[in-house]
Amino acid sequence: MDPSVKTFITGSLESLVNTALSYDPASRQELANLTDILAIESNSPDFTLYCHGSEDGIRLMCHCEVPATTQLSGSALALLSLLKQPSSLANSGVELSGSVGLLQQWQALLHNLDIDWEDAISGIIGDITGPMLASKLRKGAEWAQNQKEVQLRLLQEYLPEELKIIPSKTELALFSQDISQLVLDTDRLDAKFKYLGEALNKKEQVEKGRAE
Amino acid sequence: MKSSNPSTASPQNKPSTTHFGFEEVPVDEKAERVASVFHSVASKYDLMNDLMSGGIHRLWKRFTIEVSAVRPGHKVLDIAGGTGDLAYKFSKLVGDDGYVILSDINSSMLNVGRDRLIDRGVNNNVQYAQLDAQYLPFADDTFDCVTIAFGLRNVTDKDLALRSILRVLKPGGRLLVLEFSKPQNSLLEKAYDQYSFRLLPLMGKLITKDADSYRYLAESIRMHPDQDTLKAMMNEAGFANTEYYNMTGGVVALHKGIKP
Repeated sequence: MDPSVKTFITGSLESLVNTALSYDPASRQELANLTDILAIESNSPDFTLYCHGSEDGIRLMCHCEVPATTQLSGSALALLSLLKQPSSLANSGVELSGSVGLLQQWQALLHNLDIDWEDAISGIIGDITGPMLASKLRKGAEWAQNQKEVQLRLLQEYLPEELKIIPSKTELALFSQDISQLVLDTDRLDAKFKYLGEALNKKEQVEKGRAE
Repeated sequence: MKSSNPSTASPQNKPSTTHFGFEEVPVDEKAERVASVFHSVASKYDLMNDLMSGGIHRLWKRFTIEVSAVRPGHKVLDIAGGTGDLAYKFSKLVGDDGYVILSDINSSMLNVGRDRLIDRGVNNNVQYAQLDAQYLPFADDTFDCVTIAFGLRNVTDKDLALRSILRVLKPGGRLLVLEFSKPQNSLLEKAYDQYSFRLLPLMGKLITKDADSYRYLAESIRMHPDQDTLKAMMNEAGFANTEYYNMTGGVVALHKGIKP
């Protein structure tokens, strides 16, 4: 990819993030301590983003001449999914190398991110309509979240109880317990077979020795 | 390699003429003629840069900053710094422990750059110097990084300038040359030629009432060494680990060299 295109992408992203961070002064202040370089390497598409904090906010680069302190690599989708669930890398398809401490600092920053969107909207559409719109959006988001939870709960009851197309949670738990027990029993049986096999071999060797 | 564009050699093996765009002019005359071009365009230099490149020059300069690896405490020399785009960014990176020297051979350009930086509140770590890149008035091993953006093609003796830069760099310090170069695609090259020789002088005429200066700009770009030639010149001057990055299909190239 042409460096001009890469620079355009990182420059636009940097500008966007810093604008958002201007509505969260605490996080912006914390960024000044994150001066070590975090490299985020996407292998599909092939693109590496280097970032570090400064007193002016976040700095994003497409090229870095010094080695990164921490490197995250994976597909773009896997890396983006970290934004949703930044606390764990397990089964995320993302590999980490370098300092874990720096990553934890970034995770803490993302976790504590509190952007004052109301202030941002007010800055664009005014001090009266801004808070009104923000209030409507907040209520809308709360309602949507509530509906999501209700629908999920209803679906969890409807599918196993009414349609009976999937097992209930309890059935699944019992089945899972049975499987675990079966795994344990199989392991024990396997160990017993091995023990008996070894004992038989020893006995045969002793008998052979006597015959000779 | 004695000179980048030697045309006629005197008995002392020094060229007596050099290129000024497509024109052959006496060596002593080039600096004066280049100066008159930049005196003429200085006041509208930024506006024209934005119009001519569609704002892409900001991306080229941003990439240059990334490759510079400048960090707090560094000493940076920005040659042909013009209106101070690079110097402004460098001043933020070097902090209070480092410094940046914004330099230009042309007083009009330097004045515009100085006024612009002062207007932007930069006054703690930037110094200004009117100087000729061929004869840098600094002690040996002074700078961590030297940049010359869209300036080398206007220098009369590029080899002399490269050697002078090498001298003032600290061992391990880097030179970055951002300059127009040769497009890597023939189709792009044709379109670029049409743009440079037809549209550019027209824009110059409409905006700065000075078509000739912008005609010189287009011509000087064609006369400037291509990517590999400039890399060879840097090697010849004594730089190590030289490499270049083509940008926007090779319309512009960023050359990097390290002082061994």
